[in-house]
Amino acid sequence: MISTPKDRITTPQSAVILINYVLGTGILTLPRTAAQAVKTPDVWISVIIGGLLAMLAGIIMAKLSERYPEKTFYQYSRDIIGKWCGGFISLLIICYFFMASAFQVRSMTAVTDFFLLEGTPSSAIILCFMWVSLFVTVGGINPIARLFEIIFPITIIIFIVIASLSLRIFEVDHLRPVLGLGIMPVLKGVKATTLAFAGPEIMLLLLAFMKHPNKGVKVVVVGIGVTIVFYLVTIILVIGALSIEGVQAITWPTIDLMRSFEIEGLLFERFESLLLTIWIMQMFASYTITFYGAALGLAQLFNKNIHPFLYGLLPIIFIVSMIPKNVNDLFKFGDFIGNSAIYLFGGLPLLFLIISGLKERKA
Amino acid sequence: MWKSIVAYIPDWKVFALSLIAAIIPYAIYKTFDWIRTADKMKSGESMDSNQTTQAQDPNEWFTGDFAKDLEAVRHEMARHSDVYFREFQIGGIGLKAAIVFVEGLSDKNLIDKHIMKSLMSDYEECPKDRHRTNGNLSKEYILNKVLSIRKVDEARRIKEMTPKVLTGSTALMIEGLQDIFLLETSNGKSRNIEEPISEGLIRGPRAGFNENLCDNTALLRRDGENPSLSLIKFQVGKREKRDLVIAYMEDIAETKLVEEVKRRIRKIDIDSVPESGYVEQFIEDNYLSLFPQVQNTERPDRVIGALMEGRVAILLDGTPFVLIVPVTFSMLLQTPEDYYERWIPGTLFRLLRYFAVFVSFLAPALYISFISFHPGLIPTKLAISIIGTRGIVPFPAIIEALILEISIEILREAGLRLPKPVGPAMGIVGGLIIGEAAVQAGIVSQILVIVIAVTAISSFSIPHYSLGLTFRILRFIGMFCAAVFGLYGVILFFLLLCSHLVKLKSFGLPYASPAVPYRLSDWKDFMIRMPLLMMKRRPKMMHTRNPIRKG
Repeated sequence: MISTPKDRITTPQSAVILINYVLGTGILTLPRTAAQAVKTPDVWISVIIGGLLAMLAGIIMAKLSERYPEKTFYQYSRDIIGKWCGGFISLLIICYFFMASAFQVRSMTAVTDFFLLEGTPSSAIILCFMWVSLFVTVGGINPIARLFEIIFPITIIIFIVIASLSLRIFEVDHLRPVLGLGIMPVLKGVKATTLAFAGPEIMLLLLAFMKHPNKGVKVVVVGIGVTIVFYLVTIILVIGALSIEGVQAITWPTIDLMRSFEIEGLLFERFESLLLTIWIMQMFASYTITFYGAALGLAQLFNKNIHPFLYGLLPIIFIVSMIPKNVNDLFKFGDFIGNSAIYLFGGLPLLFLIISGLKERKA
Repeated sequence: MWKSIVAYIPDWKVFALSLIAAIIPYAIYKTFDWIRTADKMKSGESMDSNQTTQAQDPNEWFTGDFAKDLEAVRHEMARHSDVYFREFQIGGIGLKAAIVFVEGLSDKNLIDKHIMKSLMSDYEECPKDRHRTNGNLSKEYILNKVLSIRKVDEARRIKEMTPKVLTGSTALMIEGLQDIFLLETSNGKSRNIEEPISEGLIRGPRAGFNENLCDNTALLRRDGENPSLSLIKFQVGKREKRDLVIAYMEDIAETKLVEEVKRRIRKIDIDSVPESGYVEQFIEDNYLSLFPQVQNTERPDRVIGALMEGRVAILLDGTPFVLIVPVTFSMLLQTPEDYYERWIPGTLFRLLRYFAVFVSFLAPALYISFISFHPGLIPTKLAISIIGTRGIVPFPAIIEALILEISIEILREAGLRLPKPVGPAMGIVGGLIIGEAAVQAGIVSQILVIVIAVTAISSFSIPHYSLGLTFRILRFIGMFCAAVFGLYGVILFFLLLCSHLVKLKSFGLPYASPAVPYRLSDWKDFMIRMPLLMMKRRPKMMHTRNPIRKG
């Protein structure tokens, strides 16, 4: 009854954190970025491939973390490649995390500004968002996990409702022909779709908090598997309704899908408010966990309490989030973060795994 | 290159705001931190002062000289006008004796028929050898042969005697005996066992607790033969001491939990404890939270149900409200009737209550956000009819909603205090006449009246009064959030509320459980109520010592 002094999270909680982290901007933008890259209706195949690649990267990271129980990446990277190199890599990852959180809060603001709150200053929207997130983050990983567990079922229920309602304007013809231009276009889209699955990197930190760290691989498989389903449903519905040509020209295709049909006789006729609700919650989740990841990294790097870093990061994230001037800048920023994710988490964990394996053999 | 970088460096305002971003939450954190530490300092100081008061305690022993002792007792009781002395002679022997009692607190019949009568009757046949030494009666003889009283204590000091006499016992002084007998004769008036007003049921026992602790513990005992029901007595209040009993099932409740409850009750340090609400506020985990972290109830069946789940009940003398700890949010939305009725209606009523909670704190906020910020998101026809009714209203939606909400709150508060015959009249004047007139005068719109009325009714359907209060307050916060940020504000408000709920704990048990962390086995009795056949175990979250209920 009286809680254990050490923060521990269960296996389902870890999976929920992973899902909530991965789902985010992708729901709204993935159909467009993928369609622009692939240009044929086979986008959904790219999504599956991208998801599987992300899953592979996640499994590697989980395997790596499994070797160092109760330690986060920030702590064990020193053991693998020495204090200074490990510290430098950790610093890069910390930068990645807070850049990612700044990107998430800014893209949330962009959508909110555009669809819900015209004329409200972005800074006000961002500040409130960051403060609410800070409130839960100061409690540590356990409240974060529990909050995500509340957000997750709400997301699923609303998503299923709006997805099934949008079936009314779904046309299978928009998805044909399958592989009409061969496999090449599909492969071109894989990079864009893999970026939407950025998120398994949280396994580098999460495993240290898990009650059963040996189930890390299972968490990755379930977590990424669920997100693949989410993204797949989204992309099939959006392209099925708006066609591949239509999707490429729209900034936020999923919202446009919700606006493009009305159902009479229900309390609501249009469902974009529901979509925006769950999407803001998902962005909140993604932002919170990256914010926590960055602050945790700083705290462990300098071996200090996490609280000053939580407060100290707020101004930095705020400034970074205000740098992009318009939506195009924002998307460029997103691409930059995605690319750095590929460099940081695509190859590096595998390298670390090999080095640590070699070291073990020597010893 | 350099130019393009410079172009992206934000305005100085952004830097100023970024400082605000850190300073405001830090200031809030510091303030709360200061409140907490200040509170701790204070309680630490008072702990020290107690120990000094307990040390001074004059001992006045009885001398054995009847006249002298009686005079001492009279002197001690001089300040208590309701204390009566009756001097008499023990029958046949001529020994002097006196009884001391408080009028009204002690049982008249008992004193007249059993104490006085048996002492004043003839003692001729009393054996002279053993029990009478130089003209006096022995203590054993009086205890074993004379007094036909259930419970007799002995006192050697006036200090021991006074509190007992003042709570209804009768003191008996006999010439030649150094000790004084304290005869248990207390007979305080207590209310009958009636149906609890605050928690009515259609189906279920009609009994409710009353103000007498003995009656209340007896109600728990009488519930069924159950030797494992433990009742442990404490005294709270430094100046006005009151009995407090904690009840738990010896072989079910987690030992750690029971110890924690005992520890917190021992820490209560105040001169008097008038009601269990005092106890609640001293033992709760987070007094800055809006949510009640202790359940209070007047129903014995509810208490027994909680004890069977491994919880602990706290009964205080002088109040019918019994406290149950630990409590979870879902528990406050359940009623015993959910279990007495069959499972399908039980489930549906529960779901209805969750929906009512949602409506009761978010409906006005959603109304404000849709009307002021996103009229495009509501169906066109509805939007037209709302705008039609709102056309002549001169206020923004938030002011309009506040006018009506505050009037309803005043109406409720007034209705609570009014004598019963006046109540309905006030309801008619307040609710019907003012509501109707306000709409016709164009101060508020009809749609809003509907929204507010539905909200008020929904908040009545929350079975736990304290939780209803919480949502009444939250509703206003939600309305302000909606007025500033629209739907976005409502979402942030919801997230903030959830963040608070997941952090809150009641005696170590997460307040939001069993919702989070996911405990599928406990979901059988959460938003839905599965058939009793399927509920084979006690709630897992309680870590009970004996998890199996049936089978």
